Amino acid sequence: MATSTLVVVPGDEIAQDALPTPTGKKKTLTLGPGLRHIPPNTITTTIAGALATDNRKNAAWIDANSGRYLPTVGDLVIATVQSSAADNFNCAITPNTPYATLPHLAFEGASRKTRPVLLPNSLVYARVVNAGKESSPELTCVDPSTGNSEGLGPLKGGTIFKVSLGMARRLLLRSKGEVTVLDHIGTKVGFEITVGRNGLVHVDGGDVKTVLAVGKAIQETDEQALGEKGQKKLAERILKSL
Amino acid sequence: MAPEATLSHLHRADGSATYSHNGYCIIGAVNGPVEVMRRDELPEEATIEVNVRPAAGVGSPKERHLEMLLHNTLRGIILTRSIPRTLVQITLQVRSLPEEETSCGVSPSLIILPHLLHTALLALLSASIPLSTILTSTLIAIPANSSPLTSPTAPDLLRAKPIRSAHVFAFSADGKMLLNESDGTFNFEEWDEAAETAEQVCCRDEGGVGLGEGMEVDGQEGGNLDVWLREVVNKKVQWETRWKSAK
Amino acid sequence: MPREAEISVNEREFIQKALQENIRRDGRDFDAFRPLELTFGDEYGVADVQLGKTRVIARISVDVVAPPPERKFDGVFQIITEFSPMASPAFEVGRPTDAEVILSRVLEKAIRRSNALDTESLCIIAGLKCFALRADVHIVDHDGGLIDASCIAVMAALQHFRRPDVLVEGEKATVLSVRERDPIPLSILHQPLSVTFSYYEEGNIWLVDADLAEEQVRQGEVIVTMNRHGEICQINKYGGAPVDPLDFLNLNNIALQKVKDMSKFIQQKLEEDAKRRDAGGLMAELSAENAR
Repeated sequence: MATSTLVVVPGDEIAQDALPTPTGKKKTLTLGPGLRHIPPNTITTTIAGALATDNRKNAAWIDANSGRYLPTVGDLVIATVQSSAADNFNCAITPNTPYATLPHLAFEGASRKTRPVLLPNSLVYARVVNAGKESSPELTCVDPSTGNSEGLGPLKGGTIFKVSLGMARRLLLRSKGEVTVLDHIGTKVGFEITVGRNGLVHVDGGDVKTVLAVGKAIQETDEQALGEKGQKKLAERILKSL
Repeated sequence: MAPEATLSHLHRADGSATYSHNGYCIIGAVNGPVEVMRRDELPEEATIEVNVRPAAGVGSPKERHLEMLLHNTLRGIILTRSIPRTLVQITLQVRSLPEEETSCGVSPSLIILPHLLHTALLALLSASIPLSTILTSTLIAIPANSSPLTSPTAPDLLRAKPIRSAHVFAFSADGKMLLNESDGTFNFEEWDEAAETAEQVCCRDEGGVGLGEGMEVDGQEGGNLDVWLREVVNKKVQWETRWKSAK
Repeated sequence: MPREAEISVNEREFIQKALQENIRRDGRDFDAFRPLELTFGDEYGVADVQLGKTRVIARISVDVVAPPPERKFDGVFQIITEFSPMASPAFEVGRPTDAEVILSRVLEKAIRRSNALDTESLCIIAGLKCFALRADVHIVDHDGGLIDASCIAVMAALQHFRRPDVLVEGEKATVLSVRERDPIPLSILHQPLSVTFSYYEEGNIWLVDADLAEEQVRQGEVIVTMNRHGEICQINKYGGAPVDPLDFLNLNNIALQKVKDMSKFIQQKLEEDAKRRDAGGLMAELSAENAR
């Protein structure tokens, strides 16, 4: 990570030697967000950011922390239920975008007779299963192979905080994302967080003060780009105020 | 003087930029890809909406004209087919403009056009809208009795009056001309020379201008715009990844 | 038609629960404004106001026109607010939302009809020529509190603005450019400013300067406009839930305090700007030259 980053603007061609050298079994190159392939073998960029590569997975993508969230298959998101149709809920992943569909049956233990009831504007933690550009995105709250919820489903209580998309990614990376502030706070008070890739964090922790403190900790770490020391200081300050 | 730019400073818009150069200051915001109204929906590509809002008053035919020019140019660089049936909304608010704008002898819509294009591009970059290339643009004015002016300020133009013709060019990163608007009387040789000068200002020299070199060029030249734009993007990436090096 | 995204049930319940415990989401007191920033540009009459994450720019411009025949001795003063998609994709050009209509109505009543600006001073030759002043309000970033922020922006811009001087000879009026003669400040009669109170729980909880999330949860709002002398220009109550009329007395007291603070803040910023323009006492030197 510490090696010099290649900063690109849209239209830049990625030179062959900047692409990952496959070390794993996978031979085909995977292109992530911000890159496109122009046959026969030109790779160009479509957004501005830093080129990131993963040799083990033989993947390359452009790292950028701005713009609107675009649904991608496999992402965990916090969606807002807008309305209920005949056999699915219409959910908003980001404001003012076409609704994603969440089938009534895509919940743990749901059947024709026991459908979940979700009122408009309630929150649900879901996984994106389909995000083709030809259709509206599709969500699910169960793991299709096991039928278990795996922590997905309606989010009750608490509140949500907006964070940058990069912060959401970091929080989902756990230790690699270097967000230690929550560990520090977690040693003293109990709380629960749910992170959506669409830049939303749901926090629940019993009383109002704890929830706000945790939300503030995440948002400040994000906005001020606090490092390890900064996060520790912030955590201490917040714990003192509680 | 190289233009100044601040990126992603608005909270609501998906992408935003404030750009100031030669006495102009423009705030740009991009929302997208968002839901498109049914009547504007295109089955295979994204709809682009450009709103130019003047500093004083509401939009007039002059703004409609600018919107159309911007729309046609930007449609060429936005990868509209990769985000079909969506809307990319570009709003450009003129915040301040030089006093001499109306009296400098060149159509105000020509002087402001390069600045609007740059602001729109920066806001698009900030919103991470997929683009096929970047663009840079400049104004070349040919006065009646002195040598052509590159990217002149309004007072420059006022001093060089009368202006015989004015040309705005926009180029993509690989040196292809995306837009040309010319006004006044001129012959082909003059136009050709203006286009060549503009290309030098806008595009990176094939010979490879050093990164530092381009920016150091004397204020009159305005530096190299391609180099400037990359520097702005560099700053954006540094700002976004500063947590990696924070203590 | 695009609509503003509604607030989620969880956030709504959380805000209400927190308010019952006397806590606001951002930790402010119930009667506290968000941090206020006011900057002026290089030009006269442009005020850039930031209230928390809300940002409003007001710009004053002037033109010379013939006065309306029914008001021969008056100038023209207009306040124009048009929302753009910049502040939210839910704002559409040419299709005003309720918030936009309310904003322009309140500004009209608060500033224009309260005679904050002496329109008679805009008259050049009675019945023939007058200045037409317009204030354009641009909403750049929207996180609630648009009315309060816009009021500050317009009043600050009006006080900052300088109109060109005119030379009247009989029926002929010449507008003198900035180079020929120093432009003149407007004649401002008083400084109305608005304070918006949001109420919850049938008026048991009152909040000053609600942000967008708090605005979405509130039952209604009361907008009080007054000047720093405590003269009320208008009171507006939107939202149907009933409130105790006696509460209004209390609101006015709070509003007066806030308006006094804000007036002071604007005054201080105007003085700072004047000092900046007068860097190195250049102004004094120039005028001395003129006298010679």
